[in-house]
Amino acid sequence: MDFVKRAVCMGAFAAVAIGTTACGRPFKVETAPGFVELDNQEPQYSYRAIAPEGVVMAVRVVPLDDKGDLAFWTRSVILRFRQMNAYALLETVDVTSRDGTPGKELRFGHDEAGKPYLYRVRLFVAQNRLFVIEVGGTKEQMERYKASVDWMLLSVLVKCDTVVSPVLASKTCNRW
Amino acid sequence: MQRVSKLVRLGIVAFGAHLLLACGAAPDMAPKSAPSFGGAAHGAMEAPGAPAPQRPPTDKDNDGVADAVDLAKDERIAQGGGGQGQPKVVADAPHGTSMLIYTATLHLAVFQVTTQMNTVEKIARDQGGYLSVRNDQQITIRIPRGKFDDTLRMIEKLGDVVHRSVTAQDVTDEYVDLEIRLKNNRAVRDRLQALLEKAGVKEAIEIQKELARVTEEIERIEGRLKLLKDKIAYSTITVSFQPLETSTVRDASILPFPWLQDLGLSSLLNVHP
Repeated sequence: MDFVKRAVCMGAFAAVAIGTTACGRPFKVETAPGFVELDNQEPQYSYRAIAPEGVVMAVRVVPLDDKGDLAFWTRSVILRFRQMNAYALLETVDVTSRDGTPGKELRFGHDEAGKPYLYRVRLFVAQNRLFVIEVGGTKEQMERYKASVDWMLLSVLVKCDTVVSPVLASKTCNRW
Repeated sequence: MQRVSKLVRLGIVAFGAHLLLACGAAPDMAPKSAPSFGGAAHGAMEAPGAPAPQRPPTDKDNDGVADAVDLAKDERIAQGGGGQGQPKVVADAPHGTSMLIYTATLHLAVFQVTTQMNTVEKIARDQGGYLSVRNDQQITIRIPRGKFDDTLRMIEKLGDVVHRSVTAQDVTDEYVDLEIRLKNNRAVRDRLQALLEKAGVKEAIEIQKELARVTEEIERIEGRLKLLKDKIAYSTITVSFQPLETSTVRDASILPFPWLQDLGLSSLLNVHP
């Protein structure tokens, strides 16, 4: 009987410990070989990784409080770059995250001191949050790193399934 | 006998005066449906059977010269909108349809400007047009009028069109007016040249001055007509790779989400703490 009580207590303690220490990201992303994840990018970015040639991928998480859907935020980002005057929208593509969440990818071109740059932005709305995934670099390097970048983008999870608790899983991906 | 010779002299004077009056009145007498003022005037001066000027000019002839100069002055008034504001001779409008000058301005979002400009230039050449102006941020091409719409569509596909403006300027009135003025001025010039042949030295100087002015006016009108013809035949397309500032609209549309303002390569690629 003591053994059972002790086991229950330990289990409860473990659950509380896991619950309180699990303050990970509400998304999951794999860092491709050739990239290094940078530390201390908060609060601007929740994740940022860089390749030696300067190609950077980053993830922002914006709490939505039930404000705006994917179409609203996609349009907002397009207009924002129009206002910046120096970005050309090259393409808009429908994309899906690894967990099946529909999203949009916007591909921009930009000239900086006569050098062409490419900038890709993916948007997903999930968990009452907006996930903004940005990738950028010179056109030459972006084309060189295209396979790695695509792989990283495909690895993104914005909703995580778990057998432990679907309710908790909707709050975080990296908790377990 | 003296009376007879006086009568003969009077007769000659009357005949000369009649000729000169007819000469001065020619423009008003020309039929309004005449194809050109010049033709009518020449008809009056060089009609078969009309006496050719075989003698040196007389005072009476000089009166005719004065009339011609006055006519030129009248012509100037008519052109400048003086009097009743109508040209003395109405020429038929040469064109039944409107004469339009097409101009388009496109603002494309900036990306690989040099490559895009080369493409625009190539499109112009392929369409039978040519490059007009090119600088760091802007290119202007001239395209045959019939290819205007197609060319515009091709250029629009090159990038993100931020602003588009197409104008069609109707120059029919100006064109017709210029043609009428040209015909009138040519007629005046021809008449002045004819009178110059029989003018005395003093009058010749005055006619020469007027002739110079009319010739200058003809050249100016011909130049303007040539320019209009060119502008009508070739439409102008200006492609700018630097959008115009529209600060009022832009300020109003900035959304109050700080992260949105933070998007872009400068934030993303600046990894230094």
